[in-house]
Amino acid sequence: MTKFQIERRRLLIAGGAGALALAAGRVLPAQAAEDPFRIGALNPVTGAGGTYGPGMQKAILFAVDEINEAGGAAGRTLEVFAEDTQTTPDAAVTAVKKLIEVNKVQIVMGTWSSGITLAVMPITTEAGIPEMNTSGAPAISTEDKDDLVWRFQATNGRFGRAFAEIAEQRGFKRPATMAFNNASGVGNTEGFKDAWEAKGGEVVASVVYEPKRASYRSELQEVLAADPDVIVTGSYLPDTTIILREWYQSGHENKWIIPGWAANPKLVDALGPEVTQGVIAVESIANEKAPSYERFARMYKEATGNDASTNIYAAMTYDMAIVWALAMEAAGPGASVAEINAKIRDVANPGGKEVYSFEEGKAALKDGPIDYQGASSRLDFDEYGDVTPDFSEAVVQPDGSFKRVSVVKI
Amino acid sequence: MSFGYLLNLAVNGAIEGSIIALGALALTLVFGIARFPNASAGDVITVGAYAGYGGQLASGGLMAAGVVSGMVGAAAISLAFYWFVFRKLAGRSAVYPLIASIGAAFLIRAAITFFLGHDQRVYDVPLTRAVALGPVRVVPTDLYLAAGALAALAVVFALLHMTPLGRRMRAVADNPDLARASGISARRVMTAMWLIAGAVSGLAGVLLGVKTVVMPEMGWDLLLPAFAATILGTIGNPVGAVVGGLLIGVAQELSTPFVGFTYKIGVGFLVLLLVLMVRPQGLFSGAERVR
Repeated sequence: MTKFQIERRRLLIAGGAGALALAAGRVLPAQAAEDPFRIGALNPVTGAGGTYGPGMQKAILFAVDEINEAGGAAGRTLEVFAEDTQTTPDAAVTAVKKLIEVNKVQIVMGTWSSGITLAVMPITTEAGIPEMNTSGAPAISTEDKDDLVWRFQATNGRFGRAFAEIAEQRGFKRPATMAFNNASGVGNTEGFKDAWEAKGGEVVASVVYEPKRASYRSELQEVLAADPDVIVTGSYLPDTTIILREWYQSGHENKWIIPGWAANPKLVDALGPEVTQGVIAVESIANEKAPSYERFARMYKEATGNDASTNIYAAMTYDMAIVWALAMEAAGPGASVAEINAKIRDVANPGGKEVYSFEEGKAALKDGPIDYQGASSRLDFDEYGDVTPDFSEAVVQPDGSFKRVSVVKI
Repeated sequence: MSFGYLLNLAVNGAIEGSIIALGALALTLVFGIARFPNASAGDVITVGAYAGYGGQLASGGLMAAGVVSGMVGAAAISLAFYWFVFRKLAGRSAVYPLIASIGAAFLIRAAITFFLGHDQRVYDVPLTRAVALGPVRVVPTDLYLAAGALAALAVVFALLHMTPLGRRMRAVADNPDLARASGISARRVMTAMWLIAGAVSGLAGVLLGVKTVVMPEMGWDLLLPAFAATILGTIGNPVGAVVGGLLIGVAQELSTPFVGFTYKIGVGFLVLLLVLMVRPQGLFSGAERVR
């Protein structure tokens, strides 16, 4: 359908609504209650995030369908305007400006990767628009002065705490860290260091490396000289591939704790099971036992044909739309964006009736406070608007498969 | 900080430096003969890495097939750029082909990401453990790498100084008008030069791919240190390019106990600055120049 047709259809609908209102003998206010609430879906459809972005976008769309089918939120239907960040900050900035200025969206949701969220945040905050993201950098918490930014992914600091928890459970005594020199990588290892030292432990060596090197041998040499029993990383797939290969060649025998976005089946494909067996992969996991996850997983399978477990971020973007709609419902008809924004903790944090869908939440709100249990996590937002999901600890088996050995709650 | 520790750092630097050196070798040929800094050299290296990966895959895992197809693939794209772009800009100021080469670089990278995506690829090379030579730990694959870099240097050097083609190349580099007046076809010489530079880039790509992972930005990331090595070793001098690459690699790694890993890249460029302040023409000027 062309843009023109959409515009024409919208005109017809608007015209029809106007005629109805006139027939009822009322004049429509400028901001009619029937106006759909405008959501900007800003996802990494292409570029490095292209594995996840299309599914994230679809999850927002079917969440909004679900909300509209349940009669909308606070008497209003929701409408989605989608843009692609191309997984680059400059494209994301252009896209968010278009969403705000042209589409007049009232909330932006679904940014992936910290660099993009950090680039988009100042623009949305300036416009007084809430921003919901799936990024990990600790800086996002402190940059958000107006409490308009909501994070549905674990912070890198929390990843670090999960690493420390696992290192303690496994009885490691001499951990070292290696981190890619950016906000996310250093955030992971600093988070680990803080949590580990709080437990009374000591980190024997820490290296922050510059990316895009032809070799990381000197960096490894420095870390291995301290004779660690485990190396904790904040890294990505390509550098992890190179580092693990060089580590194997060096002949050392220590263990590795690596975030799940770097220690995944592609890493095993690249290096083979002999090098990677025993690698401990830690990643945040969805709220797998909750009915909300079940429902989301079913809809995700229908919409994309893929298994929901392949896209943790889609569960997060699904929750973004549901939580926002519940906040709209709680704020009541005619509420401003700021008033809705202020209701997010009320509908998601502990202290009310636990609900697992928009429909259920909408009904329960009539009787009192609710606590939405999301598909991606329990969705309890702290003072910074950050959530604390559960983490999975998986170990690479001798045949190269990943086996989950425990679920870590921090 | 023991002597052995520093020695290992120096070896690591030399290995990394030999990859930089291969890139610098390709750059210096173009720099010396076609007389412009070829910004597409990095992405021709990337093409070599992908072509080598494809060749190894197609041959069922033969590394030799990977090396050959990497060199052929990169030489082909290098020649294509000469034929369709740089040839048309001959005789203009170096800024024209420089800007065109930046465009060519973007074109290659966009084409690679469009058709092959961002996912990393890995050469199928058996992993070996390091062997201890005294205090130094050496990985056998790194020795192949260094040998590859040296062999490429030897072949290029021999071509330039021991063949009639090399003499003609040096003549064109020295004075294109005089060369033409003496009956040397500049086009033939240029064709040969772009083929050689492309093949060297292809080898660099395959070796870098074996050492790291094959990704669309790999060659571009190598470009800056390679340019530095070219200038350090005197523009147009193949021996200088290789020595410059090794020097930058070793200086970077040896600086890490003092400045840390985040700033070692800066040290590489500091070396470049210091040398150029003393010898603005580079280390090897006057001795073994192409031009």
